[in-house]
Formats: sequence, structure tokens, C-alpha cells
Amino acid sequence: MKDNIKKDDIMVELRELHKYFGDNEVLKGINLKVQRSEVVVVIGPSGSGKSTLLRCVNMLEEPTSGEIYVEGELLNDTSLNHKAYQKHLNRIRTEVGMVFQQFNLFPHMTVLGNIIEAPIQVQNKTKAEAIEIAEKLLDKVGLADKRDVYPSTLSGGQKQRVAIARALAMNPDVMLFDEATSALDPELVGDVLHVMEDLAKEGMTMLVVTHEMGFANKVGDRVVFMDGGYIVEESTPQEMFTNPKHERTKKFLVDIVDGK
Amino acid sequence: MLDWGIIVHYFPFLVKAAVMTVQISILSLILGFLVGLIAALMKLSRNVLIRGAAGFYVWIIRSTPLLVQLFIIYFGLPQLGIDLGPFLSGVLGLALNTGAYNAETIRGGISSVPPGQMEAARSLGMSSGRSMKRIILPQAMRMAIPALGNNFIILIKDTSLVSTITLVELTLAAQRLIGSTYKPFEMYIMAAFLYALMTTATSYMLKRVENKMAI
Ligand SMILES: Nc1ncnc2c1ncn2[C@@H]1O[C@H](COP(=O)(O)OP(=O)(O)OP(=O)(O)O)[C@@H](O)[C@H]1O
Ligand SMILES: [Mg+2]
Repeated sequence: MKDNIKKDDIMVELRELHKYFGDNEVLKGINLKVQRSEVVVVIGPSGSGKSTLLRCVNMLEEPTSGEIYVEGELLNDTSLNHKAYQKHLNRIRTEVGMVFQQFNLFPHMTVLGNIIEAPIQVQNKTKAEAIEIAEKLLDKVGLADKRDVYPSTLSGGQKQRVAIARALAMNPDVMLFDEATSALDPELVGDVLHVMEDLAKEGMTMLVVTHEMGFANKVGDRVVFMDGGYIVEESTPQEMFTNPKHERTKKFLVDIVDGK
Repeated sequence: MLDWGIIVHYFPFLVKAAVMTVQISILSLILGFLVGLIAALMKLSRNVLIRGAAGFYVWIIRSTPLLVQLFIIYFGLPQLGIDLGPFLSGVLGLALNTGAYNAETIRGGISSVPPGQMEAARSLGMSSGRSMKRIILPQAMRMAIPALGNNFIILIKDTSLVSTITLVELTLAAQRLIGSTYKPFEMYIMAAFLYALMTTATSYMLKRVENKMAI
């Protein structure tokens, strides 16, 4: 399926992206393109700027300079006035789903409530339409029986699968995953990775920050290694894991294998 | 000791006066809640003037006595041609007063909601206003309910201060009856009993709401 989708479609593009937190420059000129249906895995040591990069793609973090394009549209379009800009961001955000390390499910809503909230509130879907979508997605992530429970009763792996379903309910074109499995007990990681792998097979464009090298190798089309706010190296998984070019990459990969 | 004849005879009069206390309590509770909510949201505004106005309001109310606030509204404003009368002055003074405390309580509730909640809502394309209304406030209110309930209880007791601006509620009614009966002990004991009844009933109802909203 993945092969019939045309590959020259750029879904996300970052140009000369810089981000400062106060005096601390966290992204030091990032250039990155993600094509339709591509799975790009971002790896790198703690503090290297992976989360910041990902959060810039849906403007949870405002870059200090540089440009972010989503499906050819400039996201940080500073020519717009405040109100128009907010509208513009909200619209583009519906096309970019995000999954967080800490799940961030809405605790005061049931699983179903979590999933139908944005389609109803943002896309003006009727409740019936939203529920139909939600039920399909719950089926897909293997949690159809959890429809009416509250998130607090779920395991971490179940929570994360609900969070994925919630993001997918908006029918996004791109999905961002920020260490989606890092907060999970080891035995629950597999279920979530499985859902992500299925998603990749269906042709979803994905930008994935993870420490799961197995996943990067198996599912990734491209691996990007970040360190100190730079993209140090990017290549295919085979190339990255068998023949890394930079010393820093080699050291990181060795450390990871040694369990850090 | 207690003159039970007096108590039995005058208790219905005080119950009637307590109805006025309940009325001003409920009115200023509702108004004070709205004022508190609005002030709390204003404090989160991007606009420095709006933020400043809310900050000033909360500061001035919390740093002055309620009694003086009531006097300014009831005795002071008529000098500017604004004569609200005892009832409206009382409700306004109490609402503004409790509103400032509610604002701080609600703001505390909002800041206790993890930032990831707002991020998740925004990442789904929800506007900041909608995220606040649908995601943040429902959680913030749950956290704030015990402290808000505390403010409500204080409000009920504070209504006794409007007796000083000639509004005949429970405390002033008791004082007036003392004028004709010379039985301060009995009258104030009855008033105290009725206040305790009102605050205890309120606490009980709040507990039920709290349990119902717990998740
Ligand atoms: N909101 C913030 N304010 C100030 N500094 C921040 C903020 N967010 C991140 N940083 C800093 O930016 C740097 C990069 O952080 P980032 O979270 O992007 O790293 P990361 O690669 O995702 O690390 P990890 O693997 O630990 O998640 C760190 O030095 C961090 O302290
Ligand atoms: Mg991170």
C-alpha cells in the first residue's frame, strides 16, 4: 500500500529552525523534510532537543527563527494578526496529531469522551458521527471494551493506545510521537509499538522520537540522530545502525546498547 | 438560666430573619462565584491591562476589611449619587469580597491542572478558550471545590456584618428583639444556633457535590 502513494510529497519541512529558551539555544539550525508516508525516527541523547523539535512541528513550542511548513503551508506565519494566526494554527494542528510520553488523556472524560471531544468541538461533527469514528479506532487499537471507562482505570499501555486513537480521530495527515513508550512498563511497550507499526503500514506520515532502536530499525524509513541541538547524521536505519559516520553517533549507539 | 418561654416565643421571628440571611447568602454566593471566575480568567489574560485590573481588584479587596468595604458602598457611594439601599449594597459588598477570594482559589485550581492537559487540547486543534472551558476548568473546579466551599461558609457568616448597614437579617433582627426584650443571651444563642444550622447544612451539601464530582 505504502508504495503506491507518491513519494515526492513533502508533508513537513523545517528550514533553518532555531529555538532559544532564554539564552539557551536548544535547536541550532534544523533542516528536515518528511515525505508523505515516510516514518522518520529521531534519536539522540537526553537534552539534545528532540522533544523541542517535535513540539515545534505543531507549534506547542514557538521557534525563535526559521520556518516550519506542514503540507506546504507556512505554520509560523508572522504576517498574520494575533487572531488570524491563532485560527491558522488551530486549523493546521488538526492535521498534525501528537502523542505524548505522559499520555495527557483528559481524566474527567471517559475513553469515548476523550476521543469524540475534538471531532465534535473542532470539526463540528455530530455526536453520532464522532462516536462511529471513535468506535472504529478503539477497535483498531484493541480497546473496544474500554469505551465507557475513565482513563484512571487503564494501564499505561491502554492509556497510550487511547491517546493514539484520540489523535487519529481528527484524521490527521501527520502523526508526531514523543517517546510514546518511555513511561510504560516494559511488558506493555509492545502493544503500543504494534499500533504504531500498523499505522506506518497504512501509510501514515510519522515523526517519531524514541529510544526503541528495534522499532527504528524495523519501521523507520529514515533515522535522524540529534545531539546538542544539531542534526548530526541522518540515514537509513541499516546505515545508521551498522555504519554510523560520526563519532558522536557511534558513542550514542554504543551507550544505548550498554543500557546507557 | 435560659428563659425557654422567650425562646419558644421569639424563635419563629428569628427564623424569618434567617430567611433574609439565606437570600443574601445565595445571591452573593452566585454573584461572587461569577466574579471570582471572571477575575481568575482575567488574571490569565495576555493583555497586561486586563491582568492588572484583576490583580488590583483582588489586592484591594483582600487588603481591606469587609466592614469598610460595606460602608464605602452603603454610606460612601450615595455621595456620588449612587444609592443602592441596604439590600443591594449588602449583596454587592459581599459578592465583591468573596469574589476576590474565589478568584485566588480558582486560579490555584487552574494552575494545579498539569500543563500537558492544555497541550493535548491545543494539539487537537482546540482554541485556547475552548480548551479552557472544556478541559482545564472542569478539572480546576474539582480541585477548587473544597476551598470554594470554605469561602462559601465564610460568606454565610460574614453576612452578619450587613446588619451594620441596616439590612434586617438574622443578626440585626436579634439585636432589635434584644431592644424590646432585654434578653441578649437567649437572642444571640438562637442566632448562633441558626447560623450553625445554615453553615452545617451547606457543608453537608458541598461534601455531596464533592463526592459526586470525584473521579
Ligand atoms: N520549556 C523550557 N524552558 C526552558 N528550557 C527548556 C524547556 N524545554 C526544554 N528545555 C531545554 O531544552 C533542552 C532540550 O530539551 P528537549 O526536551 O528538547 O530534549 P530531548 O532531546 O527531548 O531530551 P529527553 O530525551 O530527555 O526527552 C534541554 O536542555 C532542556 O532543559
Ligand atoms: Mg524529550
